[in-house]
Amino acid sequence: MIHFERFTLDNGLRVLFHKEPATPMAVVNLVYDVGARDENPAQTGFAHLFEHLMFGGSVHIPDFDAPLQAAGGQSNAFTSNDITNYYDVLPAHNLDTALWLESDRMLSLAFTPKSLEVQRQVVIEEFKQRYLNQPYGDAWLQLRPLAYQKHPYRWATIGKNIKHIADATMDDVRAFFQKHYHPGNAVLCIVGNFELADIQQKVQHYFGDIPAQTKIARQLPQEPTQKRFRQKVIVRKVPADSFYYAFQMGKRLDNDYYLADLLSDHIGNEKTGLLFTELQRKKRLVSEITAYITGSIDNGLFVITGKINPNRTLMELDDALWPLLEKYKAKKMSKPALQQLILKLQTAKAFQDQGLLSRAMNLSFFELLGDAALINQESARFSSIQTTDLQTYAQQLFDKNRCALLQIQAQLP
Amino acid sequence: MTQQTLPTVLDRNIAPQLRPINHIAFLAPAIYNLKNGAKLFWRNGLQNETSKIELHFAAGSATGDPLTASLCAGLLINGTAQKTAKQIQKALDAVGAYYDVSLSQETTVVTLYALKDQLLKAYQIFHESLFGATFPPKELQELVHERSQKFKIQQQKVSFLAQRFFQRSLFAGSVYAQQIQLEDFQNADRTAIQAFHEQHYLKGLKKVFLIGDVSEDTLDSFQDLLNVFESNTKERKPFEWKPEAGATHIEQEGALQSAVRIGRPLFNKTHPDFCAFSVLNTILGDYFGSRLMSNIREDKGYTYGIGSHIVENNNFGYFVIGTEVGVQTRTATFIEIQKEFERLQTELVTDAELELVKSYLMGQLLKSADGPYAMLDLFANVETLGLDLSFYDRYIAEIKAVDAQKLQALAQRYLNWDQMLIISAG
Repeated sequence: MIHFERFTLDNGLRVLFHKEPATPMAVVNLVYDVGARDENPAQTGFAHLFEHLMFGGSVHIPDFDAPLQAAGGQSNAFTSNDITNYYDVLPAHNLDTALWLESDRMLSLAFTPKSLEVQRQVVIEEFKQRYLNQPYGDAWLQLRPLAYQKHPYRWATIGKNIKHIADATMDDVRAFFQKHYHPGNAVLCIVGNFELADIQQKVQHYFGDIPAQTKIARQLPQEPTQKRFRQKVIVRKVPADSFYYAFQMGKRLDNDYYLADLLSDHIGNEKTGLLFTELQRKKRLVSEITAYITGSIDNGLFVITGKINPNRTLMELDDALWPLLEKYKAKKMSKPALQQLILKLQTAKAFQDQGLLSRAMNLSFFELLGDAALINQESARFSSIQTTDLQTYAQQLFDKNRCALLQIQAQLP
Repeated sequence: MTQQTLPTVLDRNIAPQLRPINHIAFLAPAIYNLKNGAKLFWRNGLQNETSKIELHFAAGSATGDPLTASLCAGLLINGTAQKTAKQIQKALDAVGAYYDVSLSQETTVVTLYALKDQLLKAYQIFHESLFGATFPPKELQELVHERSQKFKIQQQKVSFLAQRFFQRSLFAGSVYAQQIQLEDFQNADRTAIQAFHEQHYLKGLKKVFLIGDVSEDTLDSFQDLLNVFESNTKERKPFEWKPEAGATHIEQEGALQSAVRIGRPLFNKTHPDFCAFSVLNTILGDYFGSRLMSNIREDKGYTYGIGSHIVENNNFGYFVIGTEVGVQTRTATFIEIQKEFERLQTELVTDAELELVKSYLMGQLLKSADGPYAMLDLFANVETLGLDLSFYDRYIAEIKAVDAQKLQALAQRYLNWDQMLIISAG
């Protein structure tokens, strides 16, 4: 159980406070309700490029990092298809420094043409390092537009291609800030050994005068239910053929999410999972195979992925996988197996909740989804799942018509 | 905590007043001497349900043939005379436990995570598997296959190529230079793995770290189990560095970026210059505002990230800069790194920069000491070098005392471009 207090400023900023008496540190986590899904299809990669620019100085403070470092703290951020999350970790007695910095960059940015030019270049190098200069690095750049045809999840956070980033102008970036960076579009979470009254006073002091702005309701085209199987084959200079079967699943808060999470563990686990035991060990078709879910806020993907053994083919794997999934759909999981899966998830969660930063991020994320208290319902949602629910869900999920398959074929020498 | 009074009107041009960290309390774990001579370190008082046990064995990659050491570690929990790998995994799943095995040069650390009420039960399963490991031929064959496939993928990564070549050159002439080659996989030898297990695990327990609010009875049960291991570990003799400084480039056709490693032999925490050099290293490349990041990322945009580090082992330490840069800016990056070395050698670090880095390091140390898990890691880091927690008090005192002249002298001594190994791939 994670306890928290909640209040909202007049300008719409939602604030969470989680008291942790045992730490000398403080975490300030600020999530903005903007991700790659909010981008213009002709200007992708902006949410992420923007995250870089948020460190380039704000209206009253030329350098974001130096004052925080001088306070003994450090900061970072990440962008996903759904959100942009900034965090500062610093000694608790210097909490004001983080609030001063975060409030100033929420108020207004002051980056220069030079900082835009440099960060464009940095992001292009990031694009190369993570996606282009790695074997299989571009798989998700290819898989997304195959699995999504309408929803903006069809492009990756880094962007559709380098050109969108290279073409970003000061005006574009300013417009992006004005639209998405304001108190009503953010959730602030503070963790540390503080008193609520103190936190209320400090947050009001630093964030209270930031002008309110109307939050524009998000209207994204939702992905229709896929009617027919899709397949794409690309040829790359890679050491082994690889495959990505992506099945349509539901939203983060749907029951789907909890069912899919358990199913992916059940079939995807190394050593005991069905995919490993049947396809890797018994049939020797693959050198690795696993299953996972994307867990996105809007409809996500359940992915089965792996690499083909030398002298075996993508087609042999395909021929073996579908009957295996059919067999799985026909059989109900045993009760003890389900209880084990839930216990493992709860153990992992207990370890995750140890970290202050992890607690701050999760609280902020659930508040952004509608209610931070949802964080304390996760465990019960898993526990309430019955074996029949899982079987029914597996029957619905593993439908070939709702699958997008990307195959990466090794280029012949 | 005393409350800071806020001014009634906010002037955003004025930074909030900073307060220094005056004191950090370092807490040692309880120490138990096992009958076999190894030590058990226990930390409780967690206020949550988590727990873990960490066994350190003298079974690192340099304690024998690196492939044998690596495969042995990979197969530790993969079958006994009574149970298959799958049965063991299912038994661990039933108590919600996780484990990992991590191999460094001298040591293999085997860690088991579980909720505190399940830890002993999980460890009993784990212990039986680890102690009675039979290395079934079928499991070995599968692991060799999986590892060689993964190795082929790694070989396409410029970072992997640069890192391997750097290590090989840095440790030239010593056991640490031995590396697994792709063709070695076909010669994997089960008898050698069994012998390695016998010598380095069954007889090679170095120490155990236990963390979690378990009862005294549980603690006794752990001690009984751990006593079946022997602890005949001997420290390796200090070795002599013989790397040849200079630049080597590994060409990889079609690469968009080059991975770069630049470094030299250095020292670990036992050396009198360690603390002051840590300050110098931070200024150069070990935080977001460092000179390398400010110049090569934030000014030039050549890279997504660049950093410098001191890497330590029981016997030695080395210094290394790592980055991935666009292929066409590789040479320009070298020139800038060299310039940053020279700046540190010829210009005194300003008071403002030095104060910032000192405060930053103090804040990071406070964070590293936050919570039982972090504190136990801090303890383990010094214990392994034969030091104790008083090292950190010394570290704080030395950081506070170091001045710009001292840093300049260290730069002149340790940061000479012509003494560096300069490796790039891509």
